[in-house]
Amino acid sequence: MGNTKVIAAVYGPRKVQNWGQQINDQALVRCEYRMANFSTGDRVRRPKGDRRTTEISLVIRQTMEACIMTQQMPRTQIDIYVQVLQADGGTRSACINAATLALAAAGIPMRDLVTSCSAGYLNGTPLLDLNYVEDSAGGPDVTLGILPTLDRVTLLQADSKLTMDAFESVMHLATEGCMAVADYIRRLLREHTKQLELRRGV
Amino acid sequence: MGSTDGIQADIASEIEVDAFRRLFPLRFYERHLSESVRPDARPLNKARDTSVALGAISSADGSALVKIGHTTMLAAIKVEVMTPSLDSPDEGCIVGFDVFSSGMINLKELSLISGKAAWMLYLDVYCLDADGALFDAALLAAVAALSHLRIPVVSVNDDGRVVAMSGEHVEGKSVREPINREKRKLTFSCIPFSLTCILHQKYILADPTAEEELIMETLVTVVLDLSGRLVSLYKLGGNLAYNSTVQDCVALTRRRVKELHQILNEAVSDMEVD
Repeated sequence: MGNTKVIAAVYGPRKVQNWGQQINDQALVRCEYRMANFSTGDRVRRPKGDRRTTEISLVIRQTMEACIMTQQMPRTQIDIYVQVLQADGGTRSACINAATLALAAAGIPMRDLVTSCSAGYLNGTPLLDLNYVEDSAGGPDVTLGILPTLDRVTLLQADSKLTMDAFESVMHLATEGCMAVADYIRRLLREHTKQLELRRGV
Repeated sequence: MGSTDGIQADIASEIEVDAFRRLFPLRFYERHLSESVRPDARPLNKARDTSVALGAISSADGSALVKIGHTTMLAAIKVEVMTPSLDSPDEGCIVGFDVFSSGMINLKELSLISGKAAWMLYLDVYCLDADGALFDAALLAAVAALSHLRIPVVSVNDDGRVVAMSGEHVEGKSVREPINREKRKLTFSCIPFSLTCILHQKYILADPTAEEELIMETLVTVVLDLSGRLVSLYKLGGNLAYNSTVQDCVALTRRRVKELHQILNEAVSDMEVD
């Protein structure tokens, strides 16, 4: 997404590694979010498992868990790894979109694709998908994740103060953003499947 | 009907081959080796297709994405200003890869003000897809990232701190003397390239995939520079190797160095055209 570059990998459904974590009636979903040392403007060495990383891992895991049909794969584990290579605002959304694509490409049953987009509010105008400079101005930043065909919201994260009217317009904009992402993702997946089909020679 | 039967027979035999490959990997490979070919249709001494893309990450000062077959490595460099140590007041340093201690880069080039400031290069190499010959890919990515690196223009402000300078400021505030007049490239005294080979019985397999590395355990990695001098050689464990086999590996590496150098040069000149 723009200057933000993310890569996602999905493993599973496979045997649960840590036996104690096994859930008998559904799949265990795990997610690991990492940022490359060179991804931001200033190089910061983040120890593994700092607060921001843990929080975003949790956000992604819960968002994806909501759409994966975990009941269909009891006693298994699905691992999602997302790595940020270049960060320029909206890493959360980019990670969720990448994870959706990876899950779909892995053929894991999902209720719907989750798509995500962020939006903010700066100088009285709602802005879609803030980059780093716009984000560091300190305005509100709303990250929204939706299931486009079911028309449900799975993720809504907002910080800082925002009037109700402004929130509504920001929310509306973010929803439009998500829909645009959904269209794009669907097109990508269709092309991918077509290529697979060609390679199989069916 | 006849044609569908044929297809089904094909699929059945394909499944059988797959099963054989899983169950008896070593025999599967030895059968191939005796025909001087590998399962991915390469001759024994041929490396996989290699590509280098420079400038994949714009937030870093120098970066490169390298693919050798499916193996994908991403290297990126960030530069920072540091105070050099007392022992070597006019040298910078590189953090990340020990091969560069071989004098590939003149560390004096990284000096800004003797004893006060020097560049520190942070080199990070990320493996995005591991399919064998990881060291080769990592080294190539690191070298490519270094050749993509441009040292930024900086000046010293009134507090004696080093600050970045953008193009317009250079003319506007001539009071500040830029230490580094223009964005410059590093010069290399020698460029290391490497090739990993698998030794199995009398066969030498260049540039192994992950599967091959798993099945056959004797690995030799040779690092040579452009003029053909040996920079380093690793052979960890595995079976005993004869001197002559190691010589053969070095000869293979020598050929591969030329190939890699050409690929790197093409990538660099492509970038300069853009």
